[in-house]
Amino acid sequence: MRKIRDLLTSMSFAIVLLVLLAACCAFGSFITQGQTYEWYAGAYGERAAVLIMALYLDDIYHSWWFFALGGFLCLDLLLCDLVRLPSLIRRTKKAIDPQSILRSPVTASLSHVADPAPVFSALHMPEPKAFGQDGVSGLFSVKNRAGLWGAWVCHLGILLLILGFGLGQMTHMEYTVYGVPGDEKPIGDTGLTLSIDDFRIDRREDGTARQYTASITVSGKNAAAQSGKASVNHPAALHGLKIYQNSTGWAAAVTVSRDGETLQEKVLCAGEYMPIQALPELSVFFNAFYPDYAPAENEALEGHAYLYTLYYRGQIAGMNILLPGEVITVDDYTIRFSDPQEYTLLQVKQDRFTSLALMGGLIVLIGLLLAFYCQPRTLWALSGQDGLWNVYGFSPKGGALFAEQLHSAQEATPKLQKEE
Amino acid sequence: MLNVEKILFPIVMLFYLAAMVLYFLFTALKKEKAAKWAFRVQLGTLVLHTLVLICRGIGAGRLPMTNQYEFASSFAWGLCLVSLVFIWRFRFPLLGTFAVPVILLILGYAALQSREVHALMPALQSGWLGLHVSTAIIAYGAFGVSFVISLIFLLRERRSDDSFWARSIPASEKLDLISYRSVTLGLLFLTFTILTGAIWAEQAWGSYWSWDPKETWSLVTWLIYAVYLHLRIRRGWKGRTAAIFAAIGFLCVIFTYIGVNTLLPGIHSYK
Repeated sequence: MRKIRDLLTSMSFAIVLLVLLAACCAFGSFITQGQTYEWYAGAYGERAAVLIMALYLDDIYHSWWFFALGGFLCLDLLLCDLVRLPSLIRRTKKAIDPQSILRSPVTASLSHVADPAPVFSALHMPEPKAFGQDGVSGLFSVKNRAGLWGAWVCHLGILLLILGFGLGQMTHMEYTVYGVPGDEKPIGDTGLTLSIDDFRIDRREDGTARQYTASITVSGKNAAAQSGKASVNHPAALHGLKIYQNSTGWAAAVTVSRDGETLQEKVLCAGEYMPIQALPELSVFFNAFYPDYAPAENEALEGHAYLYTLYYRGQIAGMNILLPGEVITVDDYTIRFSDPQEYTLLQVKQDRFTSLALMGGLIVLIGLLLAFYCQPRTLWALSGQDGLWNVYGFSPKGGALFAEQLHSAQEATPKLQKEE
Repeated sequence: MLNVEKILFPIVMLFYLAAMVLYFLFTALKKEKAAKWAFRVQLGTLVLHTLVLICRGIGAGRLPMTNQYEFASSFAWGLCLVSLVFIWRFRFPLLGTFAVPVILLILGYAALQSREVHALMPALQSGWLGLHVSTAIIAYGAFGVSFVISLIFLLRERRSDDSFWARSIPASEKLDLISYRSVTLGLLFLTFTILTGAIWAEQAWGSYWSWDPKETWSLVTWLIYAVYLHLRIRRGWKGRTAAIFAAIGFLCVIFTYIGVNTLLPGIHSYK
């Protein structure tokens, strides 16, 4: 048991995990994710496709082994933080204990110093305190004790970040709702309905979109109607759901008529089917809308066009382009596309653990700041019998740079005597 | 303003070239005076480069950080800034000899990119853009410096008998610490970049992490530098091994910047 604990808390294990995670993440970016076996067979060959599916490489970031790696990393971080907590508390306390300071390793030192006070101030150390112990007297000053906690805080932050992300992935709700103003659509199985009250596209002079804004209302049987606006970068928050203006596309009114009488009418978004009620075996599919269509044979002709597909008993019966004024005729029936307009595609989400992940991220940042820019250092001076002082410094991360600073401090104070 | 930028950009490249020549003179002729002048020229070029970016920003009516050309120019600016700070802070002019050619290479890449100004798509019109990209610029600049220091470290091992190199390059332990400092600066800013990007993505796309190639490779870079930091704690991995690892880390940075944009298109592929 102890061996397992030692392994899980060892630096080597952490390094192996980090390297494996980095390799898996990188590998996943080269293999197109979320495709079918047929797709992989076509792209990489049959053997590779079998391997990809067998090893879950088609969805690496949601595979059991990737989760296992993340789980081991969490376990490693948790155990490391738990195991190191008591010693860290001890070290923090001991950092200001003169007896421990006297026993601590020395990174750099100066000898025969006439007055140690300028050295303390040159290194921006707090006001030194006097101590006397076992016949030894001197001064000491400790700076940046909080820096001892840097790595610990950073690990805690990563743990919270992974936890927040993992819980969010497991519990989050996500629905897509699209439509044109006037549409009312159910939001998945929430029992809520989303009404699209308005959809505006703010365009620049050159025609490019500056902003998309959907005015929406969310209501339910037991939920009062709440209205808001969702635009890109500014989601709406209604009934605990966040609604994002995600995308847009073209919609058109499709009318089925016979002898001038309208039999069926519906606003169809590109990518949608409409079964023809009067001809039950027939349905029309709206492929795409081209606002600036110019046929190859007549480029001077400008206008818009609709691309449609007709299905008869589930089989493609015809596919063509409709120019303005043109209609599809089947027996006595006429199918007309008209009134093109842009529809809004809204993403409705709920992730209760986003704030936990964000908090984790901020804690990581604080941890890194403490670890990198709040480096603990101790400076102490012992008086000798000749009335001169020996100054010692300890900076676990400062090394040669700290030694250089200490020696520079001596140079900056000409009254000091020769360094050791 | 865009015309001013167009005129100034090649001038900036010429000034960087002048700084590089001066640094080379310092290295080849071992003249300390050349190093002082090289530093001054590099500092002056940074000011001019800043002016180029300001002109671009005013001309485009937005922050100049949204396409390959603009980011490359900003990346070179970041590397110049961080390298100047490190040269000054650690009295290490030889860093310039290696850093300025890298800056010129990045600017050369920028010069090959389209300079057309396109209006920003709605998702990019966010206050987070400036914070997200500017922290990335500093992070990339710091990692660039660590890469250069690693090269110097490896070179120092070969030229240990040369008194000029011994005098101009800090001792191995100090060099390792300077590299460590630049990596920590880069990692801190990269963390900030990833965090601000996540917050922004949450607002724009409703998902703070969607395994987009750019996000994934930023995480890969973060993990590699995290490994570098852990390796340094282990006995025997400081120095040469750490230097090699820091160099590999920078290759990841370059891939995150250029490779991902060209080979692995995703939501970050703003051409």
